[in-house]
Amino acid sequence: MRRLVLSALAAMALAGPAKAQHQDHATKAFAADAREAFTATPAFGPDGALWIARGTADRVLVSRSTDLGKTFGAPVSVTADPINLDWGPDSRPQLVIDRNGGVVVSYAIFQDKRFNGRVYATRSTDGGSTFAPRVPITSDSTSQRFQTIGIDPAGRLFAAWIDKRNAAATLAAGKPYPGAALAYAWADAGADKAARFVDTQLAFDNTCECCRLGLAFAGPGRPALLFRNVFDGGVRDHAVVTFADPKTPGPLRRVSTDDWKLDACPHHGPSLAIASDGSYHAAWFTGGSVRQGLFYARADNADAPFGVPRALSTPDRQPARPSVQAVGTVIHLAWKEFDGEKALVRWQLSSDGGRTWNPPRTVAATGDASDHPLLIARGTQVFLSWLTKDEGYRLIPLGEST
Amino acid sequence: MRRVIAASLALALGLSAVIALRTANADQPARFERGSWHALNAAHAGRPTVIHFWGLTCGPCIVELPKWGRLLAERPDLPLVLVAADPLPQPAAQVNGTLERAGLDKAESWAFADRFYERLRYEIDPAWSGELPRTVLVAADGTRTVLPGVADLSKVRDWLDQQARSSR
Repeated sequence: MRRLVLSALAAMALAGPAKAQHQDHATKAFAADAREAFTATPAFGPDGALWIARGTADRVLVSRSTDLGKTFGAPVSVTADPINLDWGPDSRPQLVIDRNGGVVVSYAIFQDKRFNGRVYATRSTDGGSTFAPRVPITSDSTSQRFQTIGIDPAGRLFAAWIDKRNAAATLAAGKPYPGAALAYAWADAGADKAARFVDTQLAFDNTCECCRLGLAFAGPGRPALLFRNVFDGGVRDHAVVTFADPKTPGPLRRVSTDDWKLDACPHHGPSLAIASDGSYHAAWFTGGSVRQGLFYARADNADAPFGVPRALSTPDRQPARPSVQAVGTVIHLAWKEFDGEKALVRWQLSSDGGRTWNPPRTVAATGDASDHPLLIARGTQVFLSWLTKDEGYRLIPLGEST
Repeated sequence: MRRVIAASLALALGLSAVIALRTANADQPARFERGSWHALNAAHAGRPTVIHFWGLTCGPCIVELPKWGRLLAERPDLPLVLVAADPLPQPAAQVNGTLERAGLDKAESWAFADRFYERLRYEIDPAWSGELPRTVLVAADGTRTVLPGVADLSKVRDWLDQQARSSR
């Protein structure tokens, strides 16, 4: 069996370079010791085409594929000039395709050497050939990072991010302020060519300052965010908030009491999906006193408590970077782990809304650096989207026969 | 007599350590790559060693470093090895500048130089997911004590005293 797995891995490795030739510089790898972004964020358009936004050393490059990632059109930089793109390990450019086929891209830059960020957004209304001049996501210039953007079921563009304005002001006044704040905004419905977000609101103070956010929608105008919060005593456990309406974040609900007391940031954010039956599916990483490693939990609905967390893998395999995707009540779960030689993407499927799960399977592997594995759906088909240094970009269909 | 021998031995060891560090400093931080953890441990085998993992991208680490600098000034017997464990390799000049400001430029120093950080962490400790700061105290007999997070330096002082006692 072991030999079988190894030869399958060898076959994958061999398949790598041949594939990469078709992928051009949209997926070009970095030098071994480069301090630069190495990310690929995928999105499907209304016409079924695949788009990726590649974070590189000094650009965000967008390209389109009509053959499910086998070949890509020429990549287009969303900015004319080089940018100091945020290369933090949990940061990535965001990409969504709106109902009109507009290509919306959002990215963060570093403003200084202390990792204060600035988030910008832009849109292409000509099929990705040109992008509108970038617009800051908010007028406050203190610091924004870890933005996530999404389109709600009514077609409205929503953004959430980690914002340091209150932290900076409070610390300047000599008072303590753990973490940063969870901020959000909706795009201007007037929708000129640019992607203009207006009327920033802060949903909660004291959330963890350098972990990506998990975003899903409970309904039109009702985003749900999963994030690492800073609870009393500096405990950095996860919480979820579901909006009652576009301007009203609901109460903060704790997902799990892991008791991770930490005066640092683990750069390791969660993933959230909401199934068609309204159930919530959360996956996250913790190093708490109660449990350590990667975990999954479900809740029957927005108000129900989450069930007992289930461990994904074991801590000695460094399970990391979870991704959850719901299609109806079929739930897909993927994460990265390390077997001593290779980084593997493990995949698990539930056909009953997350109550029972198939045994995990390895669906991809690599022998060098890699981006986070991301799950993405087109109709009912779910894919693994993964950028690796050796193999380049891969889009792998997931199903019972995988 | 015995004490005199011990003292002169310590002096000789101390001097050779200083000489070794002087030479090492030119190329610091050393590139921490696949196999470096084994090499680092082999080079210090049989002697107490304090290995402090920090990162330029870790806020609490930067706040903590000057405390290590003061401890090193107070306790020249502190056998300190610094490893910058940023998941993205950082420029050597920035690593060195930060250590110098913290009074740690004379200590042995390494920095992660491979973006396949899963592999580097696995070699160090398979169950370590990269949280920083982190300190590993290695006794002369190889016994390891891990201090996760910002270290309580009184524990490090006690440990150093204990090492000195047990080597007598």
